[in-house]
Amino acid sequence: MAEKKISKKALSKSFRNWFYGNLTCFSQEHMQTFGYLCAMLPIVEELYDTKEEQKDAMETYTAFFNTEPQIGTIVVGMTAGLEEAKANGENIDGEMINGIRAGLMGPLAGIGDSLIVGTLIPILLGIGLGLSTGGSPLGAIFYIIVWNLLMVFGMRWVYYKGYDLGGKAVEMIVGDKANAIRESVIMLGTIVIGAVAATWINITTSFQMFNSKGGVILKLQNTLNGVYPKLLSALFVVFAWWLMSKKKISPTIVMLIFLVIAFVGVLIGFFNPGLSY
Amino acid sequence: MEISWIQAILFGLFACLASMPGLGGTTFGNYTLGRPLVGGLIVGIILGDIRTGIIVGAAIQVVYIALVTPGGTVSADVRAITYIGIPLSIAAIKGLGIDAGSAQAAQIATALGAAVGTLGTVLFYGTATINLAWQHIGWKAVEKGDFHKLYLVDMGLPWISHIICSFIPALIITKMGASMVDTMKVALPMNGIAMKTLFTVGSLLPAVGVAILLKQVVLKVTDFITFFFGFTLAAAMGVNLIGAAIIGGFFAIINYKIKMLQLNKTAAAGNNNDEEDI
Repeated sequence: MAEKKISKKALSKSFRNWFYGNLTCFSQEHMQTFGYLCAMLPIVEELYDTKEEQKDAMETYTAFFNTEPQIGTIVVGMTAGLEEAKANGENIDGEMINGIRAGLMGPLAGIGDSLIVGTLIPILLGIGLGLSTGGSPLGAIFYIIVWNLLMVFGMRWVYYKGYDLGGKAVEMIVGDKANAIRESVIMLGTIVIGAVAATWINITTSFQMFNSKGGVILKLQNTLNGVYPKLLSALFVVFAWWLMSKKKISPTIVMLIFLVIAFVGVLIGFFNPGLSY
Repeated sequence: MEISWIQAILFGLFACLASMPGLGGTTFGNYTLGRPLVGGLIVGIILGDIRTGIIVGAAIQVVYIALVTPGGTVSADVRAITYIGIPLSIAAIKGLGIDAGSAQAAQIATALGAAVGTLGTVLFYGTATINLAWQHIGWKAVEKGDFHKLYLVDMGLPWISHIICSFIPALIITKMGASMVDTMKVALPMNGIAMKTLFTVGSLLPAVGVAILLKQVVLKVTDFITFFFGFTLAAAMGVNLIGAAIIGGFFAIINYKIKMLQLNKTAAAGNNNDEEDI
């Protein structure tokens, strides 16, 4: 029997199905499971001729799957490679494939959420916000182009790396070198976010103290500017961070707390947006 | 300001594409069309005012700069923020006669966007729940070996969930909401407590957005130094965001080189030990 090899066509169809469909039929019960089934279908159909064998192979991928879908593309590529090896009679079974899938989805979700969603996207959006100051569409266009190019080529690349290298591909993402890169990129992201915060958060106080004749003796905002520019903005960021990470309060509740602060602040004259028709 | 039926239909359509889980796919739907900065451009084009669209989208974007949805728990819904919140904010800014370039415009956009986004989570859970029905159909198909139905289940049937939970809400709310601005104008005077609070909270909320992101990267207090390095660049030294990205990139490269040196050193030390053993 000739050795089975997945055709280029089936691989790229599998990749496309995953790229588009990884979350389209999301539910809380089976998050990316159906996206995964659709990604494996072209591969399974090509590797196995009889309906029974196909059914057997597809059964493996009915197990729950959820990870950060973009970096998680590597798992789809890896299982394509494993399925090919399995079809060629190597000592691999569905259970083993599922063990690998289940073992990878947690760590990859953590890496993907912090690196892609928590760092890469904020960096690109931060630059985009900079380019869009004053209402220019340039920043939005920059983000659309750069983000999609990075993802289309990046996800394609990790898919085929996963397929070619199998288990060794994981080293690329969790190895020492990858850790060094990740740490450095997160550092870049944190610096950019600092600049985004200073540029886009604008919390000021209208608090003033008057002397007995009604003259202003203290304009708090001017004093604060002298201490550190945008001090109030910085304090509110640290306060929100403290509520969320030290007090474990959800973002929605933090927003409500800020609503109360805004209300009280307006009442006592600490905040005044200076509105008029 | 009047929003026409055609404009409202377009918002509904983009809401279907841009949600998490959206029909534009994760990368192009949720993470492109669903970002308020991009949505600002699209809504601006639809309403014929790109400048206001971008200003509103950018202001809201700061609050949601790192909207992570770990394990499918969602604290804000992107379709609602972007394709309901942005059109309503633009309508409010125009209806109240606020200058689009002013701080007030950004504040009301932020407050409205966050309110709509939080209430919109109901749309997310609605979509995910209806999808359970399609998944049920999918399991039956797998049992029967009718695999090609999986494509219909994964990419076709969820349109029904989105017509119910994305298209119709965006259509109705943007169509009706624009005319509510006039009612709001009469009921809530600008110098009243309610409006002052609304605008003030709009100035506070971006701090929450940035803090959501910091929650992930600041694990110990010293990590704040990196953040305040960037903050100081912009606040005290007047470096713009692109400049800050370049300076940040420079430090990232230095950090990477130091890390690699350390790694090579330990690797080399490891090799030496091996030789001694021999």
